[in-house]
Amino acid sequence: MSRPREHPRAVVPYRYSLGDKLYLPLLVGLWVTLKHFVRNLWTRGSQVTIQYPEQRRDYSHRYRGQHILTSRPDGSLRCVACFLCATACPADCIRIEAGEQPDVNIEKYPVVYEIDLLRCVFCGYCVDACPEEAIIMSNNYDMAFFDREQSIVAIEDLQRPFVLDPSRLGYRPSYPEEEAKRAEIRQGLFDLVEEAKHRQGGSGSGARAASV
Amino acid sequence: MPTVTATPPLLERYPEGSILPQEGLDQPAWVVRREILEDLARDLRDHPETRFDLLLDLCGVDFPERSERFEAVYHLFSVTRKERLRLKVPVSEAEPVLPSLVDVWKGANWFEREAFDLFGLRFEGHPNLRRILTHEGFQGHPLRKDYDPARRWVLTEDKVYRPRPQQPVEEEDEDLFERMTINIGPSHPAMHGTLRVVATLDGETIDASEVEIGYLHRCFEKMSETHTWQQVIPYTDRLNYCSSFINNVAYCRTVEQMLGIEAPPRAVWARTILSEFSRIMDHCVCNGSVLVDAGALTNFWYLFQPREEIYGLLEACSGARLTVAYGRIGGLAADLPPDFEDRCRRLLETIPPFLDDVDALVAHNRIFLDRSVGVAAISGEEAVNWGWTGPCLRASGVGYDVRKAYPYDLYDTVEWEMPVFQGGDVYDRYRVRMAEARQSLAIIRQLLDSGMPEGPVMVEDPHVALPSKEAAYTQMESMIYHFKLIMDGIQVPAGECYSMVEGANGELGFYIVSDGSGKPYRVKVRPPCFPIFSTFSRLIRGGTVSDAIVTLGGLNVIAGELDR
Amino acid sequence: MIGESWITTRFEQLEEWAQKNSFWPLPFGTACCAIEFMSTVSSHYDISRFGYEVVRFSPRQSDVLLVAGTITDKMGPVLQKIYEQMPEPKWVVSMGACACSGGFYRAYHVMQGIDEIIPVDVYVPGCPPSPEGLMYGMLQLKEKVDRERQQRNKERTSHADSDGDTAAA
Repeated sequence: MSRPREHPRAVVPYRYSLGDKLYLPLLVGLWVTLKHFVRNLWTRGSQVTIQYPEQRRDYSHRYRGQHILTSRPDGSLRCVACFLCATACPADCIRIEAGEQPDVNIEKYPVVYEIDLLRCVFCGYCVDACPEEAIIMSNNYDMAFFDREQSIVAIEDLQRPFVLDPSRLGYRPSYPEEEAKRAEIRQGLFDLVEEAKHRQGGSGSGARAASV
Repeated sequence: MPTVTATPPLLERYPEGSILPQEGLDQPAWVVRREILEDLARDLRDHPETRFDLLLDLCGVDFPERSERFEAVYHLFSVTRKERLRLKVPVSEAEPVLPSLVDVWKGANWFEREAFDLFGLRFEGHPNLRRILTHEGFQGHPLRKDYDPARRWVLTEDKVYRPRPQQPVEEEDEDLFERMTINIGPSHPAMHGTLRVVATLDGETIDASEVEIGYLHRCFEKMSETHTWQQVIPYTDRLNYCSSFINNVAYCRTVEQMLGIEAPPRAVWARTILSEFSRIMDHCVCNGSVLVDAGALTNFWYLFQPREEIYGLLEACSGARLTVAYGRIGGLAADLPPDFEDRCRRLLETIPPFLDDVDALVAHNRIFLDRSVGVAAISGEEAVNWGWTGPCLRASGVGYDVRKAYPYDLYDTVEWEMPVFQGGDVYDRYRVRMAEARQSLAIIRQLLDSGMPEGPVMVEDPHVALPSKEAAYTQMESMIYHFKLIMDGIQVPAGECYSMVEGANGELGFYIVSDGSGKPYRVKVRPPCFPIFSTFSRLIRGGTVSDAIVTLGGLNVIAGELDR
Repeated sequence: MIGESWITTRFEQLEEWAQKNSFWPLPFGTACCAIEFMSTVSSHYDISRFGYEVVRFSPRQSDVLLVAGTITDKMGPVLQKIYEQMPEPKWVVSMGACACSGGFYRAYHVMQGIDEIIPVDVYVPGCPPSPEGLMYGMLQLKEKVDRERQQRNKERTSHADSDGDTAAA
């Protein structure tokens, strides 16, 4: 091994050029800001600002927003109260109470399913853990609460039909090999929305939320 | 991995049995008696055959069942020889005393305070051994195994520590200036919300100062002991939140090394690209904030635009903008989106104009030059002694970059330059970051040109990776693995490992101890900005308050990583 | 008789109108959420479209305390002091899981929600919330201020009515 090279003991700071000393590069800077100013003023579409709430950013279909509990075609929850989501949750924000069906051969169902949205860190681990695709996420980020109790959302809110609008679905299991099947599921969800809209007759909280 | 065999001439000086070499998974380790620690440390630093000039990390580990309950673990690194060594010093609970190594490596100062705070190890000869991360009303040592993770202590106003910086004693103060003590932070825009500096001013120059941190101590290390291996990943996101993905990679790589698995090529390729994009984001925030602290607000807006564009890409991959949680032990959480390559190429075109604009605005702007050239300069030699790594060290003329010295992922397949500057001041830190952002773009371009590898993004090991949803729904065996992985977590074989990547601030290392169970036994992060920020008092001495503000911006202190 | 109360009521209304359309937030940003707050302020989202861009770092000049990031026990007294220094009327927006509830840090040094020490008007969930989420929260706060104003006005008119009734009697 050769003798180790020592680290520099002195510093060599940047040396000003003549132009630097004469403040000349400032003119370049002014030109840059002027260029941006003029372009943003006169060129349509050059502004990057998103006019929320009228306009929304085009988030992907993996966006991790508010949760959805999905339903079977008959309208019951797909959830079988296996507690995997609650176990996988690093924030420990899911509370489930399981109920037994009268027929022991049929899987359990959740009597209580609550998510504390203020605890939730939206990591998507519950979606990964679910063996039934019973919990998925929407791309809904319009959430705000006025008190802590309000933030604990229960089954009826998680099953809200407006979030079943296919364009508002977020993070959910993907089937790279089976795009067709996914499309089918999407269609199924879409049918559910239609049905739900029909059932609600275009009124009630669900419909209002959809217009937000 | 490099190996250091115990150098005979060095070891002969010490009594038999005081050094026990061990072969480690990642690097050699020596179990050292504490009586010889100080001499040995000095020898290891100065001996030409070892030259361990950088103390990377110091932490405690608690083994309640052992007779010598605690172990102080030192990670040494030789920048000149590119070698590593781990020293493990056992101490008993009755007398948890070690010699302080502040005289050998100045960077040991805060690390020793941290070990005192979290484990109750006492360091004899330490100049200021008091709590650093937890507050003054805190009792007990939270990282001991018998400490309840949720046990909180209330800090009342009367207990709040009031720093009194050590003033240089002067008999006769001839000048008319009055000494004044000012408090900056923690709620101060230039202190990034969580740092506090109390400075004594002589006129306008800072005489002495004391730095207080810990305002964002979120107990990452204790939390990882109470969660499964995979569940730790969202926590790592929040260490250096300006470049979350790099933290994911660093943690996952360490655990993968312990498991003896490797992520598939497609995942490695994506990790490299996304790490580089994260680095650009981080450098954008840092340079944006140094400029905004210097009064150049426009640059902040310009630099935030590429950031937003990169957010779009990360969100398309992972589903979140900032805290991505996209890495997984064994690969990635999900496959890349179909338009990944197109999006990357678009970004390669949109980012450079913004960097150019900012350079045109400030790189030769006399106003910024006067604020930054020669400010808070530190020589390479001193920076190494303080434990610096990363862009700040490269600005001081020491060319050490983990990506060059220990090429991981795909860094050895691409051509890129490591920018090194000699000024060691705020201006060169700015220049290094700008140059690095451009190099990152070059790395990404080459990787895109080399083509996206086909295949899965997760290892196909049912003990590590969740089975595909399809399999879990239909096959009994996969279903069982799925349940087992969620309920019990990954089982990592017992052992210890230190592994590092080049974070945006420097060497980001994870030292992980496993006892073979489903949860980590000990996770220690080697936070690059911790030793860097410990130098702050030294850097701002003799400067003005406005210098201190710009210095802080240029160091890129990310509180999430600093306080963990 | 009419003139005096008319002027003061109108002035109060003007003041309240101005308040809700131009909050001066104090971003108490400590962690990841602060970065998202920066995004909210920067070009892509531009919170100044709502009139909330006058970011003040002095509590004495601001009326909305925007707590963005984890508040630890060490930070608690600081936050409380800042809140007390703010002049009335003041509101608090708690941004992100950590400030709202402690998030997934059920830990020895993290406050389990800032409502342990100061009252909160709007909680914005998310870790961190996206800039849209934060803007939604701010708009909710605006509505809340508006609702409170209407509530007050209603009370005031009912008071005036009852005063008039007693006078007539």
